[in-house]
Amino acid sequence: MKKFISMVLALAIAAVSLTACGAPTASGGDSASGSASGAEPQTDTITMLLPPVSATYQDQLAVWAKEFNEMYPNLTLEFEKASWEDYKEKLDVQVNAGTPPDIAYVEYDRVGTLADSGLLLDISSMIEKEQLEDFDSNALEFYRLNEGLYGLPIYISVQCLGGNRAMMEQANIDWKSIQKNGWTYEEFRKAIQAGTTDEHYGFIFACAGVTAADYLNIMVKNAGMPAPFDEEMKFAYTSQNFLNLLKCIREIIDDGSTPKEMSSVDAGKRWNMFLTGQTMIFGKGLANFEGLAAANNAKLAANDATAVENSVQADYVVLPVPTFFGQAQQAQGVAGGYSAFRTKKEPDPVHLDNVMKALYFMSSGERAAFTCNELFVSALSESTREAMGKIHNEVPRDPDNAEAMALLTTQVAKPRPDIPAEKSAQATRLLDEVIVPKFQALLAGETTPEQMYEAVKAAAIDTFGADGIVTD
Amino acid sequence: MKKSDSSEQRSNRKWHLTSEDMWGYAFIAVAMIVFCVFTVYPVFSAFVTSFHKYKPLGSIFVGVENYQNTFTNRLFYKAIWNTLVYTIFTVPFSLCISFVVAVLVLPFKKKVQSLFKSMYYLPAVASGVALSVVWLWIYDPLPTGLLNSLLAKFGLGNVNWLGSSSTAMFSLILMALLAGHGTQIIIYLAALLGVPSSLFEAADLDGATFLQKLWFIVIPLVKPTTLFLLVTGVIGSFQVFMNAYMMTGGGPDNATTMVGLLIFNNAFKYSDYGLACAQALILAVVIALVSLVQFKLMGEDVEY
Amino acid sequence: MTGLYSQHLNRPWLRRMRNAVIAVFLLLLAVATLFPIYYMIVSSFGPPVEAGGASYSLFPSSFSLESYKFFFDFSPYSGRWLLNSLIVGVFTVLGNVIFASLAGYAFAKIRFKGKRFLFFALLSAMMIPYQVTQVPLYMLMVNNLHMDNTYAALVAPTFVTAYNVFLCKQFMSSLPTEIIECAKIEGCNQMQIYWRIILPLSKTVLAVMAILTFMSSWNNFFWPFLMTSKDYMQTIQVGLKTFKFANTTYFAPMMAGATISALPMFILFFSLQKYFLEGVTIGAVKG
Repeated sequence: MKKFISMVLALAIAAVSLTACGAPTASGGDSASGSASGAEPQTDTITMLLPPVSATYQDQLAVWAKEFNEMYPNLTLEFEKASWEDYKEKLDVQVNAGTPPDIAYVEYDRVGTLADSGLLLDISSMIEKEQLEDFDSNALEFYRLNEGLYGLPIYISVQCLGGNRAMMEQANIDWKSIQKNGWTYEEFRKAIQAGTTDEHYGFIFACAGVTAADYLNIMVKNAGMPAPFDEEMKFAYTSQNFLNLLKCIREIIDDGSTPKEMSSVDAGKRWNMFLTGQTMIFGKGLANFEGLAAANNAKLAANDATAVENSVQADYVVLPVPTFFGQAQQAQGVAGGYSAFRTKKEPDPVHLDNVMKALYFMSSGERAAFTCNELFVSALSESTREAMGKIHNEVPRDPDNAEAMALLTTQVAKPRPDIPAEKSAQATRLLDEVIVPKFQALLAGETTPEQMYEAVKAAAIDTFGADGIVTD
Repeated sequence: MKKSDSSEQRSNRKWHLTSEDMWGYAFIAVAMIVFCVFTVYPVFSAFVTSFHKYKPLGSIFVGVENYQNTFTNRLFYKAIWNTLVYTIFTVPFSLCISFVVAVLVLPFKKKVQSLFKSMYYLPAVASGVALSVVWLWIYDPLPTGLLNSLLAKFGLGNVNWLGSSSTAMFSLILMALLAGHGTQIIIYLAALLGVPSSLFEAADLDGATFLQKLWFIVIPLVKPTTLFLLVTGVIGSFQVFMNAYMMTGGGPDNATTMVGLLIFNNAFKYSDYGLACAQALILAVVIALVSLVQFKLMGEDVEY
Repeated sequence: MTGLYSQHLNRPWLRRMRNAVIAVFLLLLAVATLFPIYYMIVSSFGPPVEAGGASYSLFPSSFSLESYKFFFDFSPYSGRWLLNSLIVGVFTVLGNVIFASLAGYAFAKIRFKGKRFLFFALLSAMMIPYQVTQVPLYMLMVNNLHMDNTYAALVAPTFVTAYNVFLCKQFMSSLPTEIIECAKIEGCNQMQIYWRIILPLSKTVLAVMAILTFMSSWNNFFWPFLMTSKDYMQTIQVGLKTFKFANTTYFAPMMAGATISALPMFILFFSLQKYFLEGVTIGAVKG
């Protein structure tokens, strides 16, 4: 016992001496109180909370901080990095506690919830006019809510499908024409039937757990329901098209073109299945998968042991989502960008001005260009486009894919800043608590499209009333 | 309970503190300070919040609306039911397994004992993320998955483990039962080692069998430990959400939605912090009632 | 303590047979339990590749320490993270071993007014899910006390946990009351009883508590994540999670990190083994 106690004590003493030197550095200089009394610009620190937006994004931050400091010697950017899930939770806790960072990465669909807290800044009157004019106005729409502007976008990523070029050619599918003209559900169904062999499936979509929502969201847009509410603000997922879409989704599983266990294929598994040649088409597909596939192909060609186990040469083809019942292509676009926050304390105008400088700096020029390039997507502002033109990529980009992506970006379903926050929150809850769970059951073959449709309709009437839903 | 009420009344009547009282308060002082600052204060704050629509710049008082919404939400009842099923199948079985293993390890020499103990305990120290990756692989739904290919060897059909509402809960329970009882085993072992050998010697003289010794000596003497593991196990199980969050996200068809996950979603996903507080307090009351029942059933005779 | 089992003194083969059967059973169970650990270690020797790199195979296809190197190169603070976790762990263990055992003893054996109420109040601390206490605690620590990015903030909420007080109380309540009464008659005060009698008798459970506490402190993620915004103040678990990327995961380095973070636990466990296995010799104390 004595030995044990003395051991613990020794460790404790060692630890105390470390705390002693750790603490002062920790508490020093992060107060951001710049008062505009002196003639010299006061030094100020701008804090940012950031997820790993693109592959090497977080490594690049130190470079940008240095550039910013050279541009504004009195200002310092301070980054806090976290993984995707964690950063969301931390931001939520900080917002609820009333002390968010100055700037955070915010996806456009979180704007409503965050603005509801009262801490998200409406930057429309704070940011300089020419800076705002740098951005494409339709891209800014993603960060508008009613009359306000709650952030600056850096990219719009289109979530669609991806295909294996060789397999598609073998199944006589004209992928070039599909990229240019899109395809209907009937053509898609025929294609994945032709693409199903003993070795591989025709189609797979990652829908394990909560990712089932992705599958539904992507498909439903192309069935004439670009948003949960129609133009008259009625809940759209009760239309006949919704039922018919569910029937189609069930149909391709029953065809055997996709595995009947698809309901628990997760994101990692679907990518692994693509690389190992177990599927011809998969979803969701993102533009930067082209680069990941190319990297693995290069390793295979060089006989590098670090290539993914059992993988085969696979060229990635960008494919649009098929359209249903003669409806128009409405691609699922996700915008990412930066938003500025205030804290519980009354904001200081000089500090806010500094925050705006940092906000524009991070969302434009080489910074945004770096991210857009890594994500294989197109720029959203003049300065970014210019900077992107200067980037030289070691591995050349596939021109067909780039063209298809550019076309899909123009077809992205328009954001709906007119949907009131409360309504959109109700829809999210309905989606999470009823629609997605029932959809999971549909994918697992435990319920029929009709039963699911009835359940969704009943729940929608419960929430929005019989007048608040689409009936056709 | 009645007994303690009357004794408390007696102590209320005479305010005078004995030295025994003073020692008691001194010994629990630090624990109570930590408890007040880091538990009583946040819980009180959560209680206040549960009557508000929480906003960082000034909450709006909504009365019992959050409680009302909870009690009229069908999903909340389903989550309570799921949590109960999960608890009933994991906690008692897991306790039995741990107890049996702890007893079985005893006849070996010290070296062998420590070897077994390490083997059972090691998984408990591994990070949860690493473990969930392994379990996702075990439950891979395609015929190439680990468990499915094992089933195929016995000529059994493919199972969509986490993807089907009939097997998802079972899969989570199986995972909880197999993924290490390290903590419980070493706590049980500590208790077993505390049983004085003189009692066994006396029993041997009376010609007691192994099972008799187990039933009349060991089980009564480790009862406080069993109570501890049962109560903490049930509390932990009622709050569980990490495995459902990582493995199934509550699906399919809400078959694995637990109360813990619901509270987590309300607090973080929907930023409906007042509702999350209300649900957490309801959950705490349920846990407190269940714990009281456990103390009643097992505790009374070991407490004093 | 082996008195539970018959020694079969006249038939040693029977004892050996019995032990062999038990050993086989225990080993089978151990294999099932150890499988995830095995998989974690085997995959940590894989190369540091991204995306789909999860090699779903039972046996290692290649052996490389690249992933370990990758982990330490990933951030200049990788070593510091390990140290931070150690510091936080040690203080949490100290606080709990000292103050939870004092409180546990008081709740088990000392008679004082309001004991039952206070104990249940303390116990109820465990019944509140952490999701709702987090925001008030965060506000207390950051907005009021300005203690973010300090070791004190990482240790304080778990300095004495209700779980450990409960564990000590349950264990100590099975110690015979007569010993304490004897000591009182001999003129010992409560502190002397605690120090000379209770502590020596409880070292098994205190060793168990120490390792459990260290482990939960070591594996704690969310609280240190909330409390630290500077890289150099993060703990190993917080640092580890940064390995998880958008659509891709550096699989082998993540497993290497998990192995590295588990290693100090292994070491602590083995160095405390001795205390785990010492039986309590109450007879000796009595006499």
